[in-house]
Amino acid sequence: MNCEVAQEIIVLAVYGELPDDRAHQLEQHLTQCERCRQEMEAVAGLQKAMSVLPVIEPSPSLVARTRLRLDEALDTMPHGGFLIRRWQSFQRGFGRMASAPVMAAFLLLIGLGAGGWAGYRAGAHQATAQLVAATPAAPASIPVMADLDAAQIAGVSSITLEPNTENVEVRFSRVVPETAFGTLDDPQIRQLLLLGARNHDDSTVHMDSVDLLAQECRNGHQCAGGPIRNALMVALRYDKNAKVRSKALDGLEPYVAIDTRVRDAVLEALLKDPDPEVRTQAIALLAPVEADSSVQDVLQTVASQDQNPHIRNVSRQFLEQVSQIQ
Amino acid sequence: MGGPVRENLPETDLIREAQAGSRTAFDALVRQYDQAVLRLAMHLTGSEQDAQDIQQEAFLKAYRYLGNFRFECSFYTWIYRIVTNLCLDHLRRRKARREDQAVMIDSSGEEMDLMTNVSDDRSGANPARELDRKFLGQRILMALDELTPRERMVFELKHYQGLRLRTIGEMLHTTEETAKNTLFRATKKLRVKLAELR
Repeated sequence: MNCEVAQEIIVLAVYGELPDDRAHQLEQHLTQCERCRQEMEAVAGLQKAMSVLPVIEPSPSLVARTRLRLDEALDTMPHGGFLIRRWQSFQRGFGRMASAPVMAAFLLLIGLGAGGWAGYRAGAHQATAQLVAATPAAPASIPVMADLDAAQIAGVSSITLEPNTENVEVRFSRVVPETAFGTLDDPQIRQLLLLGARNHDDSTVHMDSVDLLAQECRNGHQCAGGPIRNALMVALRYDKNAKVRSKALDGLEPYVAIDTRVRDAVLEALLKDPDPEVRTQAIALLAPVEADSSVQDVLQTVASQDQNPHIRNVSRQFLEQVSQIQ
Repeated sequence: MGGPVRENLPETDLIREAQAGSRTAFDALVRQYDQAVLRLAMHLTGSEQDAQDIQQEAFLKAYRYLGNFRFECSFYTWIYRIVTNLCLDHLRRRKARREDQAVMIDSSGEEMDLMTNVSDDRSGANPARELDRKFLGQRILMALDELTPRERMVFELKHYQGLRLRTIGEMLHTTEETAKNTLFRATKKLRVKLAELR
């Protein structure tokens, strides 16, 4: 340690502000340097001399007077209103954020991550819900229309055809009962009629629906290869009501000659339908396809083996007419 | 405003309650520091009246801006920062007016002999030594008044209040190193002034 450094730190040593290692170095230097030793004594002398000036403790009466005066001043000064305290609170909060930028950034990232995850979960949940809702309400045979989601329809309650028009009123339920009004060619009305045809809880609705759909097909109104023809074939095969099956058969008549699926459904009805009138009606429908060997086979079987004499007789007559023509 | 506050609550709790608007909590804080503040202000200004003014202004400021206290330093440092700023302003104004006073004025405006407040144990009840001591006290006051307000403040806080230089730096919004350099300059000046007055 040289003298310049020593004289700079002597005052720190006198006031006890020197670290131990530096104090030791200074002590070593002072043992060898008379001038610095004198400097040390001068500063220590100053410290001692300055202590002659006392630090006076305030008297109890002065303290009491000062406190009283401060109390009075504080009483007249509002400690900030609600808004000021809120502003100070905001400043404290902002100050904490400013003094902890890493924490602030961390919290921001956490927030973004949580938001993204929540959004992803919400989207995934919604997509799943939509899939679950759509699956049972949209069978392959009944397409769901854009403006009338079958999943939203709880059931069809009544169908009323305006006399001498094609206008039909269909009452159906979503969450609350609703009413749709339009022509039979209206896609929404057709959609509702198809739903009505599947409604086996209300036989009137079911029959009216099948009847109107059959009429549409007989009149050639957009039944080609569509869901209405499928609905009529289902009704013909499985409906328990003979009148309904008869109406379905009536609606399928225009397609016996051009659609083998319809032809097979009619032959099946001829062989298996429990109602003689339906079977007799089926035989009449086969006239356009009498040349079809499968049709002739079925007719011959029925004509020779059927338990119902009327059916055997009608079939036999039908086959005789065919042979005369050929 | 505010409910009853136990004065033995930790200082941090007192501060939070005072920040929330508890006057009782603030009063408890005042009681912890007002004597020390008064002592410092009296020694720096040499006037009981000025010391009272500084003490009152310091605590009114503290009351008004307590909401801004963020616990980044001790409350002790914070309140002393307010007090030292007010004292520095006072010293600067006094220096500008060149109304240097080597005597202390009490609250009634009368001159107050600092030396009479010292026990005469050190003088051994010797009238001659007592006189010398009074004379030295006068010279010390004059030498202190020759320092810049900042030098005076650092020397006051170090020599008479016994604070660490690091704390002094925090109170004066500066570094410990700057406080060391200021103390070094102050002692050099005092030595020169006291030597001149011999």
